[in-house]
Amino acid sequence: MHRFWRLAHRVLCTRYACAPVIPSAPCVLSARRHTHMLQNAAKIGHSSHVVTLDVRPQLLDALSALRDRVAAARFPLPLAGAPRARANRDELLAQLDDYLVPRLRQPEAPLLAVIGGSTGAGKSTLVNSLVGRRVSEAGVLRPTTRTPVLVCHPEDHHWFSGMRVLPQLTRVWRPHQEPGDDLPGLSGQSMEPVLRIETADTLPRNLALLDAPDIDSLVADNRVLAAELICAADIWVMVTTAARYADAVPWHMLRTAKENKATLVTVLDRVPHQVVTEVSRQYGALLTKAGLGEVPLFTVPELPESAWGGGLLPATAVAPLRTWLLHRAQEPGARHEAMARTAQGVLDSLMRRMPELAGAAAAQYAAALRLTSAVESAYDIEHARVKGRLQAGAVLSGGALKRWRAFPLDCTAGELLDSLVESLSELLLCSVTAADERVDEVWRREPAAEAPGLMDRDPTLESAEHRIGMAVRRWRRVMEEYAEEEVRGLEKSVAPDTEMVAALVATALLGGRRARNAGEGLAERIGAHSALRLRDRGGRLLTDYLDRTLNNERERRLAPLDALDVHAEPQAELIAALSVLQKER
Amino acid sequence: MTAVTAVTDHTDHADRPGDDPHGDDPHGDEPRGETPRGEASRGQERPRDERSRDGRLGGDRPAGGHDGDAHDGERRGTQGPGAAGRPAEAGPQEGRPRDERSGDGGTPQGRAEDARPADARSGEPRPSGAPSDGARSGGTEPSPARSEGRNPREARSEGRGTQEGRTEDTRADARTETTSSGGVRTEGASSGGVRSGDAPSEGGGRPGGNRAGDERSAGRPGRNRAGDERSAGAARDDAPSEDTRRKSIGLSKERRAVRKEAAAAEGRFRRGAGAGKPSAAGLPERAPAGEGDGHARVNADDGSARADGDAVWDDGLIARRVTEPATGGEPPAPDTRPAVQAPPAPLAYDAPLRARLDALRELVGISRARLDSGTLAEAGRVLDEAAARRKLSGQHTVVAIAGATGSGKSQLFNALAGVAISETGVRRPTTAAPIACSWSDGAATLIDRLGIPGRLRRRPLQSPEAEAQLRGLVLVDLPDHDSAAVQHREQVDRVLKLVDAVIWVVDPEKYADAVIHERYLRPMAGHAEVMFVVLNQVDRLPGEAAHQVLDDLRRLLDEDGIALGEHGEPGATVLALSALTGDGVGELREVLGQFVTRRNAPGRRISADVDATATQLRPAYVTGRRVGLSEEARDEFSDRLADAVGAVAAGEAAERAWRRNANRACGTPWLRLWRWTQERRDPQTGRLPVRDPADEEATARQRVEQAVRVVSDRAAYGLPAPWSLAVREAAVRGAQGLPEALDEMAARATTPARRPPRPGWWPIAVLAQASMTILQIVGGLWLVAQIVGVMSPNLGVPVLLMVAGIVGGPLVEWGSRMAARGPARRYGQEAERRLREAATGCGRARVLDPLAAELLRYREVREEYGRVTGAAPASVG
Repeated sequence: MHRFWRLAHRVLCTRYACAPVIPSAPCVLSARRHTHMLQNAAKIGHSSHVVTLDVRPQLLDALSALRDRVAAARFPLPLAGAPRARANRDELLAQLDDYLVPRLRQPEAPLLAVIGGSTGAGKSTLVNSLVGRRVSEAGVLRPTTRTPVLVCHPEDHHWFSGMRVLPQLTRVWRPHQEPGDDLPGLSGQSMEPVLRIETADTLPRNLALLDAPDIDSLVADNRVLAAELICAADIWVMVTTAARYADAVPWHMLRTAKENKATLVTVLDRVPHQVVTEVSRQYGALLTKAGLGEVPLFTVPELPESAWGGGLLPATAVAPLRTWLLHRAQEPGARHEAMARTAQGVLDSLMRRMPELAGAAAAQYAAALRLTSAVESAYDIEHARVKGRLQAGAVLSGGALKRWRAFPLDCTAGELLDSLVESLSELLLCSVTAADERVDEVWRREPAAEAPGLMDRDPTLESAEHRIGMAVRRWRRVMEEYAEEEVRGLEKSVAPDTEMVAALVATALLGGRRARNAGEGLAERIGAHSALRLRDRGGRLLTDYLDRTLNNERERRLAPLDALDVHAEPQAELIAALSVLQKER
Repeated sequence: MTAVTAVTDHTDHADRPGDDPHGDDPHGDEPRGETPRGEASRGQERPRDERSRDGRLGGDRPAGGHDGDAHDGERRGTQGPGAAGRPAEAGPQEGRPRDERSGDGGTPQGRAEDARPADARSGEPRPSGAPSDGARSGGTEPSPARSEGRNPREARSEGRGTQEGRTEDTRADARTETTSSGGVRTEGASSGGVRSGDAPSEGGGRPGGNRAGDERSAGRPGRNRAGDERSAGAARDDAPSEDTRRKSIGLSKERRAVRKEAAAAEGRFRRGAGAGKPSAAGLPERAPAGEGDGHARVNADDGSARADGDAVWDDGLIARRVTEPATGGEPPAPDTRPAVQAPPAPLAYDAPLRARLDALRELVGISRARLDSGTLAEAGRVLDEAAARRKLSGQHTVVAIAGATGSGKSQLFNALAGVAISETGVRRPTTAAPIACSWSDGAATLIDRLGIPGRLRRRPLQSPEAEAQLRGLVLVDLPDHDSAAVQHREQVDRVLKLVDAVIWVVDPEKYADAVIHERYLRPMAGHAEVMFVVLNQVDRLPGEAAHQVLDDLRRLLDEDGIALGEHGEPGATVLALSALTGDGVGELREVLGQFVTRRNAPGRRISADVDATATQLRPAYVTGRRVGLSEEARDEFSDRLADAVGAVAAGEAAERAWRRNANRACGTPWLRLWRWTQERRDPQTGRLPVRDPADEEATARQRVEQAVRVVSDRAAYGLPAPWSLAVREAAVRGAQGLPEALDEMAARATTPARRPPRPGWWPIAVLAQASMTILQIVGGLWLVAQIVGVMSPNLGVPVLLMVAGIVGGPLVEWGSRMAARGPARRYGQEAERRLREAATGCGRARVLDPLAAELLRYREVREEYGRVTGAAPASVG
């Protein structure tokens, strides 16, 4: 629902000049305020130097570049504005692909009028009546129209049968039917949305009508589809009824249209004829109050013929609307103006929408940055803590300390080394889990961390333990090799056991103050100089391994975030594409 | 008493248009004078109700009476303005009989006196309305204090009760609070303060004396003020505009809310809850929107007082709701007194529902510390509603007609009522405010609760058969929920929470609108049993189509998850009708009649509410995973702690040291000699300077930390987030100081006071070794002597002796080494065990036990939740 509205909101931003020419309407039809409208049209015409569409190739290039940027924008983090931004992006894409680009490329294509409105407002009946035969299924069950139906003149068929507009909809074409035929229920309701194309001679050339699904029924797909279709419209006809004209949903849409200076046609349908005047007056008052006074309003009474999907309305009932549309379609000036204005409206709306998208992209990046920095700082803190603890000799505690006390009488060098290694990996594991905990705590407060794969990582502590254990054992092995190198340099006779030397070095490195004796013992055994050298190398190695291990874990933690691929670039690119477009206009 | 009861008749009609208590209709004058009194008596009902619910207030009738009076006072305050010309004595007079009724011995006098001064004081600024007002409030208000004091805690009530009776009303209130608990006291005071702050501004030139008195009795000025304000409103404008009236109602409500608070203050639980409240509650009260606030609080208070302590009322949401009961500003239906006309009995929930409500209250109470108030808000609301509804008439069923704009709600309403009550028209949206229509008397309080002002209450067309059929029905016509007018939707949302059943009106055009299905029907799917779905305007559909549409509607409802009441199963009733032609209205009437006659709608509604709350709370209580700390996890924790103190290494070291000593003791002297020289030559490492004050931090911190982390992870596994957080917190708290404690324990455990024990054979081995050496020496000497020639040459014996010595020495050494193995191992194991046990004990006391306690707490909560869901607790597991 909301998504739809967001979509609709954008949709209505097309600026469209309305200069309806009201024919002398039959009595049931109330054409409001035409003098006013004509005045208004004149005014618009005055300011309509924008209307001239000079479609240069540069503009199209800029537009397609912009389109690509928009298509590339991603909003993977579940921020507050993300759904809106995603909808915004989708709808912008739809509008560019379905309307603006095709329209600019082929200004001679027929005008497309989309009939939209609430469920049960009689959209299909209206389309059928405008066409003069049953092209769209009407009925009493809501929502009736689930498949949009496009009606055009047979000679215009090629414009719509291709993928020029609405490329995402599969085309369904049915050969002309006998008027008396029952419309077969659209049983073939496949998963993918389809667009049914009907041709009718009764419709003039250069005008196509699209019967859209409802905007407010229970079927969510309908609502989304309706919004998509509205994106492709040159003229939007909003249909409401006597029972509905105060509904919040259509009003929301109307208000949005007004905000975007879009011009639309409203049709007040199914008005019991006893109250035609009153209802249309009230509706008109509401429109005026909402600042939509100049929107053409056509009233269609509820006639027995229209009774719930029955037959067609008499031609007189829809004549004014038909005339209005015909005028748009056939009179070149009006047609060009209508078309150009809509296109211009979309172009204008880019000025507003692109920065919004860019803002959303920036917000995404900021959130990603926050998440990243939470990880970074957690790991930094833990890194510092580990270093401090190493210096304090935290590794030489517990079992390792006991071993060291017993060394060398009651404990072999190998055992001492084992326990030191174990203790060291425990220290690292502890700091890694602590860092993870910190990260979780910060992320829990970040809405962006709800993104799939960030928080709900499987408890891979075991594997972290494994990785850390590997790294520490490798360090030990290298230490032993270092020791061996040093020992080899000594005379054979006095050369002590390599393992003993390794154990002593490890103790001296890991035991901090507590293992002063180890350093002394080492110096006694292999000489002060080489002892110092060995300790230096071992120390560097230890730092190296430590950093590598922690960085490794940090990277692992950041990997899912990196995989989301949130960068700073889209923001700049969107803005850049927009400014190029502005230059080309 | 009799006089009072006689009067009630009138009051009961308050809900009738003619008797509108708020006095904007022509009849107002006559009944108005008496209404208050009637209400006073009506007021009795509530305390009694409470008492019975409490089950512990025996024979406290008077108190009840007073409570009633309190309401009465307010009520009268509300109505005071209307009775502008009333003599000032009215107050005292009324006060007295009531007192006597209360049977409280000496008090009446004092009260009456009290009342008078109050009268005088408040009367000063205002010529007519105010005095009576003040008197009323003065005379009546002691009672609430007393009754409240008594209600919840009999022990306290006696002495203070009378005293309070004599003192100023509000002061009494304040005092009750004072005695009850600190937190509450502040609350009372502060809310009073808010009011007193208001008083000057709103009441206009209120005399200073009054305010001085206020200082002691914080609550008081507010009360007077409210009355004044009301009277002021009346004075300003005889037929006060709806707004002012509503406002004054709100105020009276507010007052009530505060008073109620005092009552509820007795609840033991309140203490903690009260703390944050005053400001929160006090502020909103003033705003017009504060209506809701005042209400909720009242409800909550009732609930909590009853529950003896769930301070349900301190979270924000409840505060928001406070107005509703206040709306019902009047005391509850007067069923308790012998009335001329059968008064509606209060609602009684059936036992399972009662149990579930109690469980929910308990649940909210025990999880308040863990869950944020937002999560519990809905539960609090449901409890409030349940409590509020329970106090009101059980004879009536409030049914709301809801639907989209233009669906024909008002038309249906009119069709059911038989008269054109509600405006219908082509204009959209038509109905702007809810309108109530009651088929029988006594529903005034119910309608009050909905916040429907008197001028929007109607009676149906009087016809005996209709009355018989729909007796007990209170029909409410709601505004639309889908028009552009947002306030309509707000009204609908508010009222829908309070009614007992809903008739959803849809029409062929709108029956598939997303708004109604997604916003209302789906969330309320659990309320199917108290739901009617009516397809209106079938006259607009051609023949067959009506069936199709109805079927489609059924399908949609089914998709919404609403059980349909077909084939006698419980569920929503779906009907097609045309309010315009009257087609099908009869059927609806019939169904409604049956529905109302069953009188179980309120209970079902509350039950469905509880269901919905339980579902909503489910993620906070249940994860569907197995919960608990397994034995393995505990063992693992112990192992890790033992590792942290190095138990294994210590044991091994001790074993080896012991064996080494044994070997040395039993070794051949030559070997010892060699070793000694060896040792002298070799530099010693770790063992050498055994100055080990470095024993600070002998325990591996990282291991302890990790152990705690792992065990708390294990314990928190499968717990809902709040509880898992609690478990972790408990673990972290326990882990503080654990390494130090382990250090200490380990130090104590590793330093056995005495020397290591020696096996019995040790001296023998030493002796044998010595004798072997002696044999060697003897043999050697003998040989030397032979060589020297001192002795006769006899090689055999000395050689034999020497060989025996040489062979026997190592033999003995080997033998004793073998023999020493066992004891050494035992010794080492003993050392390890001591350390391990020390560590385990430490860990258990500091970490495991708190964890287990936390888990137990969760389990209790979980069981409570199971009781709330009402299903077999096991199945919820």
